[in-house]
Amino acid sequence: MATCTRLAWRTSLPRHVAIIKCKRSLHSDTLKREPVYPAIVPSKTAKSKSAKRRREEDYHNAVKSATVQDKLQLLTKVQRKKYVLYPQTFALNADKWYQYFTKTAYLPGIPDKFVVEVGENDVQKAPAITDKNAFSELRSLVCDSILQENFYLKKPKPFLLKEQETLFAPFIKNMVSGITSALAKHSHLLEVSSLDFNPQVNFYWMRGERTVPRGHRGGRVDPARFQIDDTPLCQIRVPQQLPEFLPLETDVSVEVPEIRFAPDLLPMFRRQYDNNIFTGSKLADPCSYGHTQFHLVMDRFQRRKLAKANLVDQIEVGLRANAIASLFAWTGAQAMYQGFWSHEDVTRPFVSQAVITDGQYFSFFCYQLNTLALTVQTDTGNPRKNFCWGTESMRLYETIQDGNIIGLDDNVLKLLVQFLLNGAKLM
Amino acid sequence: MARRALYPLFQVGNPQLRVFCPNFFLTLVRPGREQPPDTVQFRIPMEMTKCDVKNYLEKIYSVPVGAVRTRIQYCTNKKRNHLNQRVKRPDYKVAYVQLAQHQTFEFPDIFPTKEAEQEEGSLEAMQEKFMEDEKQRQKPDPRRGGVTEWFGL
Repeated sequence: MATCTRLAWRTSLPRHVAIIKCKRSLHSDTLKREPVYPAIVPSKTAKSKSAKRRREEDYHNAVKSATVQDKLQLLTKVQRKKYVLYPQTFALNADKWYQYFTKTAYLPGIPDKFVVEVGENDVQKAPAITDKNAFSELRSLVCDSILQENFYLKKPKPFLLKEQETLFAPFIKNMVSGITSALAKHSHLLEVSSLDFNPQVNFYWMRGERTVPRGHRGGRVDPARFQIDDTPLCQIRVPQQLPEFLPLETDVSVEVPEIRFAPDLLPMFRRQYDNNIFTGSKLADPCSYGHTQFHLVMDRFQRRKLAKANLVDQIEVGLRANAIASLFAWTGAQAMYQGFWSHEDVTRPFVSQAVITDGQYFSFFCYQLNTLALTVQTDTGNPRKNFCWGTESMRLYETIQDGNIIGLDDNVLKLLVQFLLNGAKLM
Repeated sequence: MARRALYPLFQVGNPQLRVFCPNFFLTLVRPGREQPPDTVQFRIPMEMTKCDVKNYLEKIYSVPVGAVRTRIQYCTNKKRNHLNQRVKRPDYKVAYVQLAQHQTFEFPDIFPTKEAEQEEGSLEAMQEKFMEDEKQRQKPDPRRGGVTEWFGL
Protein backbone atom coordinates (compact mmCIF):
# COMPACT_ATOMS: atom_id res chain seq x y z
CA MET A 1 0.00 0.00 0.00
CA ALA A 2 2.82 2.33 0.98
CA THR A 3 4.71 1.70 -2.26
CA CYS A 4 1.68 2.47 -4.27
CA THR A 5 1.29 5.90 -2.70
CA ARG A 6 4.99 6.72 -3.05
CA LEU A 7 4.95 5.81 -6.74
CA ALA A 8 2.05 8.03 -7.32
CA TRP A 9 3.84 10.93 -5.64
CA ARG A 10 7.01 10.46 -7.78
CA THR A 11 5.13 10.33 -11.05
CA SER A 12 3.38 13.55 -10.18
CA LEU A 13 6.74 15.41 -9.98
CA PRO A 14 7.77 17.46 -12.98
CA ARG A 15 10.21 15.59 -15.20
CA HIS A 16 13.08 18.12 -15.39
CA VAL A 17 13.69 17.92 -11.63
CA ALA A 18 14.80 14.32 -11.95
CA ILE A 19 17.12 15.14 -14.85
CA ILE A 20 18.85 17.85 -12.89
CA LYS A 21 19.41 15.42 -10.04
CA CYS A 22 21.16 12.94 -12.36
CA LYS A 23 23.44 15.58 -13.80
CA ARG A 24 25.07 16.45 -10.53
CA SER A 25 28.80 16.56 -11.10
CA LEU A 26 29.58 14.83 -7.82
CA HIS A 27 28.18 11.49 -8.99
CA SER A 28 30.06 11.30 -12.29
CA ASP A 29 33.33 12.12 -10.51
CA THR A 30 33.11 9.10 -8.27
CA LEU A 31 32.45 6.82 -11.22
CA LYS A 32 35.57 7.92 -13.06
CA ARG A 33 37.89 7.66 -10.09
CA GLU A 34 40.45 4.85 -10.27
CA PRO A 35 40.61 2.26 -7.49
CA VAL A 36 43.15 3.18 -4.84
CA TYR A 37 44.17 -0.41 -4.19
CA PRO A 38 45.83 -2.68 -6.74
CA ALA A 39 43.68 -5.41 -8.22
CA ILE A 40 43.16 -8.30 -5.88
CA VAL A 41 45.06 -11.28 -7.23
CA PRO A 42 45.43 -14.74 -5.77
CA SER A 43 48.39 -15.50 -3.58
CA LYS A 44 51.56 -16.83 -5.11
CA THR A 45 52.45 -19.19 -2.34
CA ALA A 46 49.16 -20.54 -1.06
CA LYS A 47 48.13 -24.12 -1.54
CA SER A 48 45.09 -23.46 -3.68
CA LYS A 49 43.94 -23.86 -7.23
CA SER A 50 43.88 -20.14 -7.90
CA ALA A 51 47.40 -19.76 -6.52
CA LYS A 52 48.58 -22.54 -8.79
CA ARG A 53 46.92 -20.88 -11.74
CA ARG A 54 48.59 -17.60 -10.81
CA ARG A 55 52.01 -19.25 -10.66
CA GLU A 56 51.41 -20.85 -14.05
CA GLU A 57 50.33 -17.53 -15.53
CA ASP A 58 53.39 -15.81 -14.13
CA TYR A 59 55.57 -18.48 -15.66
CA HIS A 60 53.88 -18.14 -19.05
CA ASN A 61 54.23 -14.36 -18.97
CA ALA A 62 57.87 -14.68 -18.03
CA VAL A 63 58.49 -17.00 -20.96
CA LYS A 64 56.52 -14.79 -23.33
CA SER A 65 58.48 -11.68 -22.45
CA ALA A 66 61.90 -13.36 -22.52
CA THR A 67 64.40 -13.38 -25.36
CA VAL A 68 64.76 -16.55 -27.40
CA GLN A 69 67.83 -17.69 -25.53
CA ASP A 70 66.08 -17.23 -22.19
CA LYS A 71 62.92 -18.80 -23.54
CA LEU A 72 64.73 -22.01 -24.41
CA GLN A 73 66.42 -21.92 -21.05
CA LEU A 74 63.15 -21.40 -19.19
CA LEU A 75 61.27 -24.06 -21.15
CA THR A 76 63.90 -26.72 -20.64
CA LYS A 77 64.91 -25.82 -17.13
CA VAL A 78 62.87 -28.22 -15.05
CA GLN A 79 64.11 -31.79 -15.29
CA ARG A 80 61.57 -34.54 -14.83
CA LYS A 81 61.33 -38.07 -16.07
CA LYS A 82 60.54 -38.01 -19.76
CA TYR A 83 59.86 -40.50 -22.48
CA VAL A 84 62.83 -40.84 -24.79
CA LEU A 85 61.74 -41.17 -28.39
CA TYR A 86 64.26 -42.92 -30.59
CA PRO A 87 63.86 -42.05 -34.28
CA GLN A 88 65.09 -45.48 -35.30
CA THR A 89 63.21 -47.79 -33.02
CA PHE A 90 62.77 -51.50 -32.61
CA ALA A 91 59.16 -51.04 -31.52
CA LEU A 92 56.57 -52.46 -33.87
CA ASN A 93 54.07 -50.13 -35.55
CA ALA A 94 55.79 -47.11 -34.05
CA ASP A 95 54.68 -44.74 -36.81
CA LYS A 96 51.10 -44.49 -35.56
CA TRP A 97 52.30 -43.72 -32.03
CA TYR A 98 54.83 -41.17 -33.23
CA GLN A 99 52.13 -39.50 -35.29
CA TYR A 100 50.03 -39.13 -32.18
CA PHE A 101 52.91 -37.82 -30.08
CA THR A 102 53.75 -35.18 -32.69
CA LYS A 103 50.20 -34.58 -33.95
CA THR A 104 51.27 -35.38 -37.48
CA ALA A 105 49.04 -36.48 -40.31
CA TYR A 106 50.82 -38.72 -42.79
CA LEU A 107 50.13 -38.24 -46.50
CA PRO A 108 51.56 -40.91 -48.79
CA GLY A 109 53.34 -39.61 -51.88
CA ILE A 110 55.37 -36.45 -52.31
CA PRO A 111 53.81 -32.96 -52.21
CA ASP A 112 52.18 -31.66 -55.39
CA LYS A 113 55.00 -29.21 -55.78
CA PHE A 114 57.46 -31.90 -56.84
CA VAL A 115 55.04 -33.67 -59.15
CA VAL A 116 55.21 -31.28 -62.11
CA GLU A 117 56.29 -31.55 -65.67
CA VAL A 118 59.78 -30.40 -66.37
CA GLY A 119 58.59 -27.65 -68.71
CA GLU A 120 56.69 -25.61 -66.12
CA ASN A 121 58.58 -22.78 -64.52
CA ASP A 122 56.45 -21.30 -61.83
CA VAL A 123 57.89 -19.58 -58.80
CA GLN A 124 55.93 -21.82 -56.47
CA LYS A 125 56.95 -25.01 -58.25
CA ALA A 126 60.22 -26.67 -57.46
CA PRO A 127 62.71 -26.32 -60.27
CA ALA A 128 64.18 -29.33 -61.97
CA ILE A 129 67.30 -29.59 -63.99
CA THR A 130 66.37 -29.64 -67.66
CA ASP A 131 69.87 -29.59 -68.98
CA LYS A 132 71.00 -33.05 -70.11
CA ASN A 133 74.67 -32.31 -69.61
CA ALA A 134 74.23 -31.05 -66.08
CA PHE A 135 72.24 -34.12 -65.17
CA SER A 136 74.76 -36.56 -66.64
CA GLU A 137 77.45 -34.75 -64.71
CA LEU A 138 75.53 -35.34 -61.48
CA ARG A 139 74.94 -38.92 -62.47
CA SER A 140 78.62 -39.60 -62.96
CA LEU A 141 79.32 -37.86 -59.66
CA VAL A 142 76.95 -40.20 -57.84
CA CYS A 143 78.39 -43.23 -59.63
CA ASP A 144 81.89 -42.19 -58.64
CA SER A 145 80.98 -41.81 -55.00
CA ILE A 146 79.28 -45.23 -54.98
CA LEU A 147 82.26 -46.90 -56.63
CA GLN A 148 84.74 -45.08 -54.43
CA GLU A 149 83.53 -46.89 -51.34
CA ASN A 150 82.54 -50.19 -52.91
CA PHE A 151 85.12 -50.75 -55.63
CA TYR A 152 88.11 -48.39 -55.73
CA LEU A 153 88.87 -48.46 -52.03
CA LYS A 154 89.98 -51.67 -50.45
CA LYS A 155 88.29 -51.76 -47.09
CA PRO A 156 88.74 -54.23 -44.28
CA LYS A 157 85.77 -56.31 -43.30
CA PRO A 158 83.62 -54.08 -41.10
CA PHE A 159 83.18 -54.87 -37.45
CA LEU A 160 79.93 -56.37 -36.26
CA LEU A 161 77.04 -53.89 -36.63
CA LYS A 162 79.38 -51.26 -38.10
CA GLU A 163 78.78 -52.16 -41.71
CA GLN A 164 76.59 -49.18 -42.56
CA GLU A 165 78.93 -46.80 -40.79
CA THR A 166 82.03 -47.99 -42.62
CA LEU A 167 80.59 -48.67 -46.07
CA PHE A 168 77.67 -46.39 -46.72
CA ALA A 169 78.10 -43.37 -44.46
CA PRO A 170 81.15 -42.11 -46.40
CA PHE A 171 79.29 -42.66 -49.66
CA ILE A 172 76.32 -40.56 -48.55
CA LYS A 173 78.57 -37.84 -47.20
CA ASN A 174 80.62 -37.68 -50.40
CA MET A 175 77.54 -37.72 -52.56
CA VAL A 176 75.76 -35.00 -50.64
CA SER A 177 78.71 -32.64 -50.53
CA GLY A 178 79.42 -33.32 -54.21
CA ILE A 179 75.86 -32.78 -55.40
CA THR A 180 75.28 -29.67 -53.30
CA SER A 181 78.43 -28.02 -54.60
CA ALA A 182 77.52 -29.01 -58.16
CA LEU A 183 74.00 -27.65 -57.75
CA ALA A 184 75.16 -24.42 -56.15
CA LYS A 185 75.39 -22.76 -59.55
CA HIS A 186 71.69 -23.50 -60.13
CA SER A 187 70.53 -22.47 -56.70
CA HIS A 188 71.77 -19.47 -54.81
CA LEU A 189 70.23 -20.83 -51.64
CA LEU A 190 72.56 -23.81 -51.68
CA GLU A 191 75.50 -21.51 -52.27
CA VAL A 192 74.95 -19.79 -48.95
CA SER A 193 73.83 -22.92 -47.12
CA SER A 194 75.86 -24.72 -44.53
CA LEU A 195 76.35 -28.47 -44.50
CA ASP A 196 76.85 -30.23 -41.15
CA PHE A 197 78.13 -33.74 -40.67
CA ASN A 198 76.91 -35.81 -37.74
CA PRO A 199 75.10 -32.91 -36.09
CA GLN A 200 73.00 -33.24 -32.97
CA VAL A 201 69.32 -32.44 -33.15
CA ASN A 202 67.31 -32.38 -29.94
CA PHE A 203 63.76 -31.52 -29.14
CA TYR A 204 61.75 -31.54 -25.95
CA TRP A 205 57.99 -31.12 -25.71
CA MET A 206 54.93 -32.08 -23.73
CA ARG A 207 51.90 -33.89 -25.00
CA GLY A 208 49.08 -35.57 -23.14
CA GLU A 209 48.89 -36.11 -19.43
CA ARG A 210 48.44 -38.84 -16.88
CA THR A 211 47.42 -39.12 -13.29
CA VAL A 212 50.28 -40.16 -11.06
CA PRO A 213 49.13 -43.55 -9.76
CA ARG A 214 50.97 -43.71 -6.46
CA GLY A 215 53.72 -42.15 -4.45
CA HIS A 216 53.80 -38.81 -2.71
CA ARG A 217 52.36 -37.11 -5.80
CA GLY A 218 49.68 -39.76 -6.21
CA GLY A 219 46.45 -38.50 -7.75
CA ARG A 220 48.03 -35.41 -9.24
CA VAL A 221 47.91 -34.74 -12.96
CA ASP A 222 51.27 -34.72 -14.66
CA PRO A 223 51.99 -33.83 -18.31
CA ALA A 224 53.79 -36.48 -20.37
CA ARG A 225 57.15 -35.15 -21.50
CA PHE A 226 59.05 -36.31 -24.54
CA GLN A 227 62.59 -35.92 -25.75
CA ILE A 228 64.12 -36.76 -29.11
CA ASP A 229 67.90 -36.98 -29.47
CA ASP A 230 68.69 -37.40 -33.10
CA THR A 231 71.95 -37.57 -35.01
CA PRO A 232 71.38 -37.36 -38.74
CA LEU A 233 74.27 -38.28 -40.98
CA CYS A 234 74.37 -34.81 -42.49
CA GLN A 235 72.06 -31.88 -42.85
CA ILE A 236 71.84 -28.72 -44.95
CA ARG A 237 70.82 -25.51 -43.21
CA VAL A 238 69.91 -22.34 -45.08
CA PRO A 239 69.48 -18.70 -44.05
CA GLN A 240 66.04 -18.40 -45.60
CA GLN A 241 62.94 -20.43 -44.95
CA LEU A 242 61.73 -22.93 -47.54
CA PRO A 243 58.34 -22.15 -49.11
CA GLU A 244 55.37 -23.86 -47.49
CA PHE A 245 53.72 -26.87 -49.12
CA LEU A 246 50.23 -26.00 -47.89
CA PRO A 247 48.81 -22.78 -46.43
CA LEU A 248 48.75 -22.73 -42.64
CA GLU A 249 45.04 -23.22 -42.04
CA THR A 250 44.36 -25.77 -44.78
CA ASP A 251 42.18 -28.59 -43.59
CA VAL A 252 43.18 -31.84 -45.23
CA SER A 253 40.86 -34.70 -44.35
CA VAL A 254 43.58 -36.95 -42.95
CA GLU A 255 43.17 -37.88 -39.33
CA VAL A 256 45.93 -38.03 -36.77
CA PRO A 257 45.65 -41.48 -35.15
CA GLU A 258 44.50 -41.38 -31.55
CA ILE A 259 46.35 -43.65 -29.12
CA ARG A 260 44.59 -44.28 -25.84
CA PHE A 261 47.36 -46.26 -24.20
CA ALA A 262 50.24 -45.00 -22.14
CA PRO A 263 53.46 -44.65 -24.14
CA ASP A 264 55.02 -47.35 -21.94
CA LEU A 265 53.16 -49.94 -23.95
CA LEU A 266 54.84 -49.07 -27.26
CA PRO A 267 57.28 -49.78 -25.40
CA MET A 268 58.95 -46.50 -24.46
CA PHE A 269 60.98 -45.81 -21.39
CA ARG A 270 61.35 -42.82 -19.13
CA ARG A 271 64.66 -41.28 -18.22
CA GLN A 272 65.71 -38.07 -16.62
CA TYR A 273 68.52 -35.94 -17.99
CA ASP A 274 69.05 -32.50 -19.55
CA ASN A 275 66.15 -31.28 -21.65
CA ASN A 276 67.62 -30.12 -24.93
CA ILE A 277 66.30 -28.14 -27.86
CA PHE A 278 68.90 -27.81 -30.58
CA THR A 279 68.81 -27.58 -34.37
CA GLY A 280 72.43 -28.48 -34.95
CA SER A 281 73.81 -24.97 -34.61
CA LYS A 282 73.72 -22.25 -32.03
CA LEU A 283 71.19 -19.44 -31.98
CA ALA A 284 73.47 -16.82 -33.51
CA ASP A 285 74.04 -18.89 -36.64
CA PRO A 286 72.51 -17.11 -39.67
CA CYS A 287 71.65 -20.45 -41.31
CA SER A 288 68.83 -21.09 -38.87
CA TYR A 289 66.33 -22.79 -41.17
CA GLY A 290 66.42 -26.39 -42.25
CA HIS A 291 66.66 -27.57 -45.81
CA THR A 292 67.35 -31.32 -46.00
CA GLN A 293 68.51 -34.00 -43.62
CA PHE A 294 70.13 -37.29 -44.62
CA HIS A 295 69.66 -40.29 -42.36
CA LEU A 296 71.37 -43.63 -42.58
CA VAL A 297 69.45 -46.72 -41.51
CA MET A 298 71.56 -48.50 -38.95
CA ASP A 299 72.57 -52.15 -39.17
CA ARG A 300 70.03 -53.36 -36.66
CA PHE A 301 67.18 -52.14 -38.86
CA GLN A 302 68.48 -53.50 -42.14
CA ARG A 303 66.04 -54.99 -44.61
CA ARG A 304 67.53 -58.45 -44.54
CA LYS A 305 67.49 -58.54 -40.74
CA LEU A 306 63.84 -57.53 -40.61
CA ALA A 307 63.01 -60.02 -43.33
CA LYS A 308 64.79 -62.73 -41.36
CA ALA A 309 62.75 -61.83 -38.27
CA ASN A 310 59.59 -62.18 -40.34
CA LEU A 311 58.84 -58.45 -40.14
CA VAL A 312 58.81 -57.42 -43.79
CA ASP A 313 55.88 -55.06 -43.25
CA GLN A 314 57.88 -53.17 -40.63
CA ILE A 315 60.49 -51.92 -43.10
CA GLU A 316 58.42 -49.03 -44.40
CA VAL A 317 56.82 -48.47 -41.00
CA GLY A 318 60.23 -47.99 -39.43
CA LEU A 319 61.29 -45.54 -42.12
CA ARG A 320 58.10 -43.57 -41.66
CA ALA A 321 58.53 -43.46 -37.90
CA ASN A 322 62.11 -42.31 -38.35
CA ALA A 323 61.06 -39.53 -40.71
CA ILE A 324 58.22 -38.31 -38.51
CA ALA A 325 60.32 -38.28 -35.35
CA SER A 326 63.46 -36.68 -36.73
CA LEU A 327 61.73 -34.16 -38.96
CA PHE A 328 59.41 -33.09 -36.18
CA ALA A 329 62.38 -32.67 -33.87
CA TRP A 330 64.35 -30.64 -36.37
CA THR A 331 61.49 -28.47 -37.62
CA GLY A 332 60.18 -27.94 -34.11
CA ALA A 333 63.60 -26.85 -32.93
CA GLN A 334 63.80 -24.38 -35.82
CA ALA A 335 60.43 -22.93 -34.85
CA MET A 336 61.55 -22.68 -31.22
CA TYR A 337 64.66 -20.83 -32.38
CA GLN A 338 62.32 -18.24 -33.91
CA GLY A 339 60.66 -17.76 -30.53
CA PHE A 340 57.56 -19.90 -30.93
CA TRP A 341 56.44 -22.37 -28.30
CA SER A 342 53.29 -24.13 -27.25
CA HIS A 343 51.59 -21.01 -25.86
CA GLU A 344 52.76 -18.80 -28.74
CA ASP A 345 51.91 -20.99 -31.68
CA VAL A 346 53.65 -20.60 -35.03
CA THR A 347 52.39 -17.80 -37.27
CA ARG A 348 53.93 -19.27 -40.42
CA PRO A 349 54.51 -22.91 -41.29
CA PHE A 350 58.00 -24.37 -41.05
CA VAL A 351 59.19 -26.82 -43.64
CA SER A 352 62.01 -29.36 -43.79
CA GLN A 353 62.87 -32.35 -45.89
CA ALA A 354 64.63 -35.62 -45.21
CA VAL A 355 66.13 -38.46 -47.17
CA ILE A 356 66.41 -41.78 -45.36
CA THR A 357 68.65 -44.34 -46.92
CA ASP A 358 70.50 -47.55 -46.21
CA GLY A 359 72.94 -46.88 -49.05
CA GLN A 360 70.86 -48.57 -51.69
CA TYR A 361 67.24 -47.80 -50.95
CA PHE A 362 66.20 -44.16 -50.70
CA SER A 363 62.98 -42.77 -49.29
CA PHE A 364 62.02 -39.11 -49.38
CA PHE A 365 60.06 -37.22 -46.78
CA CYS A 366 58.78 -33.65 -46.42
CA TYR A 367 57.47 -32.17 -43.22
CA GLN A 368 55.40 -29.11 -42.58
CA LEU A 369 55.12 -27.92 -39.00
CA ASN A 370 51.83 -26.08 -38.50
CA THR A 371 51.50 -26.18 -34.77
CA LEU A 372 53.63 -26.44 -31.67
CA ALA A 373 50.63 -26.23 -29.33
CA LEU A 374 50.68 -29.87 -28.31
CA THR A 375 50.14 -29.60 -24.56
CA VAL A 376 46.73 -30.46 -23.18
CA GLN A 377 45.93 -26.83 -22.31
CA THR A 378 46.64 -25.55 -25.82
CA ASP A 379 45.63 -28.59 -27.86
CA THR A 380 41.91 -28.53 -27.10
CA GLY A 381 40.07 -26.93 -29.98
CA ASN A 382 43.20 -26.47 -32.05
CA PRO A 383 42.30 -27.58 -35.58
CA ARG A 384 45.86 -27.32 -36.90
CA LYS A 385 48.01 -30.38 -37.38
CA ASN A 386 51.43 -31.09 -38.80
CA PHE A 387 51.86 -32.85 -42.10
CA CYS A 388 54.38 -35.38 -43.29
CA TRP A 389 54.63 -36.52 -46.88
CA GLY A 390 56.64 -39.57 -47.76
CA THR A 391 57.45 -41.99 -50.51
CA GLU A 392 58.01 -45.70 -50.29
CA SER A 393 61.66 -46.63 -50.45
CA MET A 394 63.09 -46.72 -53.96
CA ARG A 395 66.20 -48.53 -55.09
CA LEU A 396 68.98 -46.34 -56.43
CA TYR A 397 70.98 -49.14 -58.06
CA GLU A 398 70.79 -52.89 -58.23
CA THR A 399 74.32 -54.23 -57.94
CA ILE A 400 77.92 -53.37 -58.57
CA GLN A 401 79.77 -55.70 -60.91
CA ASP A 402 83.50 -55.14 -61.43
CA GLY A 403 83.47 -51.40 -61.60
CA ASN A 404 80.06 -50.95 -63.21
CA ILE A 405 76.87 -49.93 -61.50
CA ILE A 406 73.97 -51.91 -62.83
CA GLY A 407 70.48 -50.50 -62.96
CA LEU A 408 71.01 -46.97 -61.69
CA ASP A 409 67.55 -45.44 -61.32
CA ASP A 410 67.41 -41.95 -62.80
CA ASN A 411 64.05 -41.17 -61.22
CA VAL A 412 65.47 -41.48 -57.73
CA LEU A 413 68.35 -39.23 -58.66
CA LYS A 414 66.00 -36.69 -60.23
CA LEU A 415 63.87 -36.62 -57.11
CA LEU A 416 66.97 -36.11 -54.98
CA VAL A 417 68.01 -33.19 -57.19
CA GLN A 418 64.51 -31.74 -56.99
CA PHE A 419 64.63 -31.96 -53.21
CA LEU A 420 67.96 -30.18 -53.10
CA LEU A 421 66.81 -27.50 -55.55
CA ASN A 422 63.73 -26.71 -53.47
CA GLY A 423 63.71 -23.00 -52.73
CA ALA A 424 66.31 -22.27 -55.41
CA LYS A 425 64.48 -19.13 -56.53
CA LEU A 426 64.23 -17.61 -53.10
CA MET A 427 67.41 -15.58 -52.94
CA MET B 1 57.57 -78.26 -15.43
CA ALA B 2 60.56 -79.01 -17.51
CA ARG B 3 63.08 -79.35 -14.74
CA ARG B 4 60.98 -81.89 -12.83
CA ALA B 5 60.51 -84.16 -15.82
CA LEU B 6 61.85 -87.67 -15.42
CA TYR B 7 62.60 -89.16 -18.74
CA PRO B 8 63.04 -92.93 -19.10
CA LEU B 9 66.72 -93.80 -18.96
CA PHE B 10 68.09 -94.61 -22.37
CA GLN B 11 69.30 -98.16 -22.73
CA VAL B 12 71.29 -99.33 -25.70
CA GLY B 13 68.97 -100.97 -28.12
CA ASN B 14 65.90 -99.02 -27.12
CA PRO B 15 64.31 -96.86 -29.75
CA GLN B 16 65.89 -93.41 -29.71
CA LEU B 17 64.11 -90.96 -27.49
CA ARG B 18 62.60 -88.11 -29.41
CA VAL B 19 60.77 -85.24 -27.75
CA PHE B 20 58.71 -83.25 -30.17
CA CYS B 21 56.89 -81.04 -27.70
CA PRO B 22 58.79 -79.23 -25.03
CA ASN B 23 57.72 -79.75 -21.48
CA PHE B 24 56.82 -76.08 -21.02
CA PHE B 25 53.49 -74.72 -19.96
CA LEU B 26 52.32 -71.28 -21.01
CA THR B 27 49.32 -69.69 -19.36
CA LEU B 28 47.40 -67.17 -21.37
CA VAL B 29 46.13 -64.55 -18.93
CA ARG B 30 43.89 -61.54 -19.08
CA PRO B 31 46.12 -58.46 -18.89
CA GLY B 32 45.82 -56.54 -15.65
CA ARG B 33 46.50 -53.23 -17.39
CA GLU B 34 44.85 -52.86 -20.75
CA GLN B 35 47.23 -53.71 -23.57
CA PRO B 36 47.16 -52.72 -27.25
CA PRO B 37 45.05 -55.11 -29.33
CA ASP B 38 48.07 -56.85 -30.85
CA THR B 39 49.65 -57.72 -27.52
CA VAL B 40 49.01 -61.00 -25.69
CA GLN B 41 50.08 -61.68 -22.14
CA PHE B 42 51.36 -65.02 -20.87
CA ARG B 43 52.72 -66.43 -17.64
CA ILE B 44 55.65 -68.59 -18.52
CA PRO B 45 58.10 -70.74 -16.57
CA MET B 46 61.16 -68.97 -15.25
CA GLU B 47 63.53 -70.97 -17.44
CA MET B 48 61.84 -69.92 -20.64
CA THR B 49 63.51 -67.16 -22.66
CA LYS B 50 62.13 -64.76 -25.25
CA CYS B 51 63.43 -66.91 -28.07
CA ASP B 52 61.82 -69.96 -26.48
CA VAL B 53 58.47 -68.20 -26.36
CA LYS B 54 58.79 -67.09 -29.96
CA ASN B 55 59.72 -70.57 -31.17
CA TYR B 56 57.05 -72.21 -29.04
CA LEU B 57 54.25 -70.07 -30.42
CA GLU B 58 55.52 -70.13 -33.98
CA LYS B 59 56.35 -73.81 -34.24
CA ILE B 60 53.56 -75.37 -32.23
CA TYR B 61 50.64 -73.00 -32.72
CA SER B 62 51.90 -71.24 -35.89
CA VAL B 63 51.14 -67.83 -34.41
CA PRO B 64 53.02 -65.01 -36.17
CA VAL B 65 55.13 -63.46 -33.44
CA GLY B 66 56.54 -60.00 -33.96
CA ALA B 67 58.25 -59.28 -30.68
CA VAL B 68 58.43 -60.79 -27.21
CA ARG B 69 59.15 -58.88 -24.03
CA THR B 70 59.48 -60.52 -20.65
CA ARG B 71 59.69 -59.46 -17.07
CA ILE B 72 59.80 -61.26 -13.75
CA GLN B 73 57.00 -60.51 -11.34
CA TYR B 74 58.14 -60.48 -7.74
CA CYS B 75 55.54 -61.95 -5.42
CA THR B 76 55.00 -61.18 -1.79
CA ASN B 77 57.13 -62.53 1.03
CA LYS B 78 54.95 -60.93 3.65
CA LYS B 79 52.61 -63.76 4.46
CA ARG B 80 53.27 -65.82 7.60
CA ASN B 81 52.20 -69.34 8.41
CA HIS B 82 50.84 -70.68 11.69
CA LEU B 83 54.41 -70.88 13.10
CA ASN B 84 54.94 -67.22 12.22
CA GLN B 85 57.47 -68.14 9.55
CA ARG B 86 57.60 -66.16 6.33
CA VAL B 87 55.95 -67.87 3.40
CA LYS B 88 57.12 -66.79 -0.03
CA ARG B 89 54.60 -66.80 -2.79
CA PRO B 90 56.51 -67.98 -5.86
CA ASP B 91 57.63 -65.43 -8.44
CA TYR B 92 56.69 -65.90 -12.04
CA LYS B 93 57.74 -64.64 -15.44
CA VAL B 94 55.37 -62.63 -17.60
CA ALA B 95 55.74 -62.50 -21.37
CA TYR B 96 54.16 -59.85 -23.58
CA VAL B 97 53.92 -61.19 -27.10
CA GLN B 98 53.32 -58.72 -29.89
CA LEU B 99 51.71 -60.35 -32.90
CA ALA B 100 52.96 -59.69 -36.41
CA GLN B 101 51.05 -59.27 -39.67
CA HIS B 102 48.37 -57.02 -38.17
CA GLN B 103 46.85 -59.81 -36.11
CA THR B 104 44.88 -58.88 -33.03
CA PHE B 105 43.78 -60.82 -30.02
CA GLU B 106 41.15 -60.13 -27.42
CA PHE B 107 40.97 -62.19 -24.28
CA PRO B 108 37.66 -64.07 -24.40
CA ASP B 109 34.93 -63.38 -21.91
CA ILE B 110 34.90 -66.74 -20.15
CA PHE B 111 32.15 -66.04 -17.65
CA PRO B 112 29.55 -63.96 -19.44
CA THR B 113 26.94 -62.42 -17.16
CA LYS B 114 23.64 -64.25 -17.54
CA GLU B 115 21.02 -62.48 -19.53
CA ALA B 116 18.44 -61.65 -16.84
CA GLU B 117 14.97 -60.46 -17.88
CA GLN B 118 12.81 -63.54 -17.99
CA GLU B 119 9.48 -63.35 -19.70
CA GLU B 120 6.54 -62.07 -17.72
CA GLY B 121 4.43 -64.87 -16.25
CA SER B 122 6.93 -67.67 -16.99
CA LEU B 123 7.72 -70.29 -14.36
CA GLU B 124 11.21 -68.92 -13.65
CA ALA B 125 9.96 -65.40 -13.16
CA MET B 126 7.28 -66.52 -10.73
CA GLN B 127 9.75 -68.65 -8.84
CA GLU B 128 12.19 -65.78 -8.56
CA LYS B 129 9.49 -63.42 -7.34
CA PHE B 130 8.41 -65.95 -4.75
CA MET B 131 11.98 -66.38 -3.52
CA GLU B 132 12.43 -62.65 -3.27
CA ASP B 133 9.23 -62.22 -1.28
CA GLU B 134 10.20 -65.03 1.03
CA LYS B 135 13.62 -63.50 1.61
CA GLN B 136 12.02 -60.19 2.43
CA ARG B 137 9.66 -61.85 4.89
CA GLN B 138 12.41 -63.70 6.70
CA LYS B 139 14.58 -60.66 7.11
CA PRO B 140 14.70 -59.56 10.79
CA ASP B 141 13.26 -56.22 11.81
CA PRO B 142 16.05 -53.64 11.43
CA ARG B 143 14.63 -51.57 14.30
CA ARG B 144 15.40 -54.39 16.75
CA GLY B 145 19.14 -54.08 16.03
CA GLY B 146 19.77 -57.81 15.78
CA VAL B 147 17.98 -58.73 19.01
CA THR B 148 15.89 -61.86 18.38
CA GLU B 149 12.10 -61.98 18.50
CA TRP B 150 12.23 -64.02 21.68
CA PHE B 151 13.09 -61.01 23.78
CA GLY B 152 10.11 -59.04 22.56
CA LEU B 153 6.78 -58.63 24.22
